[in-house]
Amino acid sequence: MNFRKVSCLVIILIGLSACSSKKEKEPENTLHIATLEKIKGLDPAMAGDLYSGDEVARAYEGLLQYHYLKRPYTLVPMLAEAMPAVSEDRKTLTFKIRKGVLFQDDPCFKETNGKGRELVAEDFIYTFKRVADSKTLSEGWWIFDSRVVGLNEWRDEGIKAGKADYAKAVEGLKAEDKYTLKIKLKEPSSQFLYYLAMTFAYVVPHEAVEMYKDDFRRNPVGTGPFVFDRKESNLNSKLIWNKNPTFRKDFYPSEGAPGDKELGLLVDAGKQLPLTDRLVVTVFVEPQPMWLNFMTGKLEISGIPKDNFDQALGADKKLHPEFEQKKIMLHKEPELDITHESFNMSDPLFAKNKFLRQALSMAMNSAQVVDLFYNGRAIAAQGPIPPGLAGYDPALKNPYREFNIEKAKELLKKAGYPNGEGLPVIEYNTLSSSTYRQITEFVEKSFGLIGVKIKVNTYTWPEFIAALKNKKGQMWGYAWVADYPDAENFLQLFYSKNVSPGPNDSNYSNPEYDKLYESSLKLTDGPQRTALYQKMVKILVDDAPWIWAVHRIKFTLSQPWTKNYKLNQLEHSMMKYLRVDTALKK
Amino acid sequence: MFAYILKRILYTIPILFGVSLIVFVLFHLVGGDPTYQMVGKHSKAEQIAQLRHELGLDQSLPMQYLHYVKQIVTFDYGRSYATKQPIGEMISRGAGPSLILAIPAFIITTIAALLIALVSAYYRGRFIDKFVLISCVIGMSAPSLAYILFGQYVLAYKFGIFPISGFEAGFPEALSYVAMPAFIWLVVSMGADVRFFRNAILEETNQDYVRTARSKGLEEKVVYFKHVLKNSMIPIVTYVVIEIPFLLLGAFLLESFFGIPGLGSMTIDAINSSDFPVLKAMTTVNSILFILGTLATDILYTLVDPRVSFK
Repeated sequence: MNFRKVSCLVIILIGLSACSSKKEKEPENTLHIATLEKIKGLDPAMAGDLYSGDEVARAYEGLLQYHYLKRPYTLVPMLAEAMPAVSEDRKTLTFKIRKGVLFQDDPCFKETNGKGRELVAEDFIYTFKRVADSKTLSEGWWIFDSRVVGLNEWRDEGIKAGKADYAKAVEGLKAEDKYTLKIKLKEPSSQFLYYLAMTFAYVVPHEAVEMYKDDFRRNPVGTGPFVFDRKESNLNSKLIWNKNPTFRKDFYPSEGAPGDKELGLLVDAGKQLPLTDRLVVTVFVEPQPMWLNFMTGKLEISGIPKDNFDQALGADKKLHPEFEQKKIMLHKEPELDITHESFNMSDPLFAKNKFLRQALSMAMNSAQVVDLFYNGRAIAAQGPIPPGLAGYDPALKNPYREFNIEKAKELLKKAGYPNGEGLPVIEYNTLSSSTYRQITEFVEKSFGLIGVKIKVNTYTWPEFIAALKNKKGQMWGYAWVADYPDAENFLQLFYSKNVSPGPNDSNYSNPEYDKLYESSLKLTDGPQRTALYQKMVKILVDDAPWIWAVHRIKFTLSQPWTKNYKLNQLEHSMMKYLRVDTALKK
Repeated sequence: MFAYILKRILYTIPILFGVSLIVFVLFHLVGGDPTYQMVGKHSKAEQIAQLRHELGLDQSLPMQYLHYVKQIVTFDYGRSYATKQPIGEMISRGAGPSLILAIPAFIITTIAALLIALVSAYYRGRFIDKFVLISCVIGMSAPSLAYILFGQYVLAYKFGIFPISGFEAGFPEALSYVAMPAFIWLVVSMGADVRFFRNAILEETNQDYVRTARSKGLEEKVVYFKHVLKNSMIPIVTYVVIEIPFLLLGAFLLESFFGIPGLGSMTIDAINSSDFPVLKAMTTVNSILFILGTLATDILYTLVDPRVSFK
């Protein structure tokens, strides 16, 4: 066969395949969504990133979940029958597990010939031990670390022996009977229930872990609403989830937040979940193809890429008429997050010089940051707590976040560096991506206004994290996204016992702040704790360990035939509530 | 011939050893420590130390290097830090999508470029030749990202000729998804290929034996296709065969934008997460393929040029 024939054949094959139809017809009620990163695995113990967490929650469930519609975010039972009974000293939590919940059918259940067995309290004990087992290398160990009686000792014994002994009992984890789980804590914790709603604590059957071993990440077996299509899915490109035929009785909520009824979010109240037959999750590493797929109606939901923002929304942040004519819905909500510039307080330059930190803070124009880097989709931050959490004070006006070059210069003079004279060049760590390069240029320009110079260290992501965890560099830009809806999640970032490699990346240490933080841990949610949070914020505002940048606002679009969509930043299992109006889609 | 091949394969051992040493030193100097990323944002020093121990990163560098050499010899690269999947399996799973895109794109591009170069060289200095050269320069000047964005927006979104992005395993489903990236590959690579092939052909047309053939009264077509083309194949074969090993590496940008789960995007992920085992495996596999590629080139020389022998 000569070259010409080969080339003709290839061209014909490409032409033919372009016209070919799909192998199997999709159910009409299929929901197509996007994920912006490749999925590393489907093991709950390893679901440390947002994207893996979302996928894990299709197949797995935990004891508690967040109410889909209510705001502020409220915990409700998931696999627990009700919220736990809490002892008087708040150290013992007793959960009643729902009866008759089945794991998805899987060959790992040999005793039942592949039929999923019933979930029992012991499964949670196994799951929590597995997260604690050092061999699992779980990113979620921190949710149990030093909290559950006897669990740290159990972990340490495993490390010493080279292998964890799952048969050995842990004092703080007890199955009183088949459906009763008792958790004993070392200290009362207002946050522990939030930890149990995180995907790290989602229950896994030991049979699947033992059978699939390292491949457990690609063979999910949970009690969740969707079953993973292992044959047709690829974690790097497309994940297909089919409705779980043995899913427990779980119904669409009958109440929501004010205004939800008017938005049609309660039409399906009381209906059995999941409401969709299939969920197709496509991985889009680049935003343009995701956007174009949404515009052609091939995706039911999409974020708005930075470069396409003006195409979709006007200066008033409302949809353009073209989109309104198509009845595309716009959803927006402030994110529970903060972006910031950290000062490395373990560095002698910044450790003791509050005026220097305050001066640099005043040289950065928040309004410009919001416009230049977020298309106006952000709120200038005044302190660490984002809107939507108890402790956030909308009236707070941080005096050091006002953009005022004259005052900044005065503070710089007070710091001992008039017009930046005598101040060494500041080492600024950043990432190599184009967005970070632009942010770095902005920081350089802002500081230049008061005569301060920076030296830029450009890193890859692992190098950047390693530098930060090793306290190298003097400043860097970073962000924190809430793990749970409690301002404590943001305030712990300044607790001195959490310094690097812990989450306190600015290595801030203030005994007065520590004392208040420790006191707040003993309190439950209420005015007293909120007042304490605000007192801590006041200290941070004055000390300026960070330049508080912005709280981002999430903008999402949905097609008119996508029903029940409401932004929910914490509940990973939210896709079970959505459905496609097939008549409207046609 | 067999002795020659064996000798060449033996030569590759020190080369491979050198490559492995460079790869190892390079990744340990500039790759970044993956443990801080793997351990998560709520990490403690004790957990980081534990993880480093589990990954064998607390061993001395010579021990780690020996372990790496063992992996090269046994072709067992262990598991990815990021996904925990066996790397051999990851490579075999990613090779399919990469090759489904790369092979047709490469074959079509090479054949088309060769044909255009022949025509261009045949009509040297005339309108067709100038048109080809200008088109080549234009094609090479635009960045491949521009072609990708244009293709996705105009050809896929506006006209619906191709899918915007995505990938389906299996034949022929996969072909509809790789058609547009393959077309972009062709447009992007064509300019450089045509110019190189044209120059190689023109160089031969200036040789004495061509003048002799013409003076003997041979028809121009015979001179051109029988003599010039065959002799100009040496640089062309070198150029083409050397490219073959890189096909397996995948097309980084095309795979990323079109959502093709090939080895190109896998390598980018590994770079972003300092996934040393995957990076070491990909670099080593590529080095081996490159060495085999050069060996294949040498063997092919003898087929296109009888003056070259296995000595």
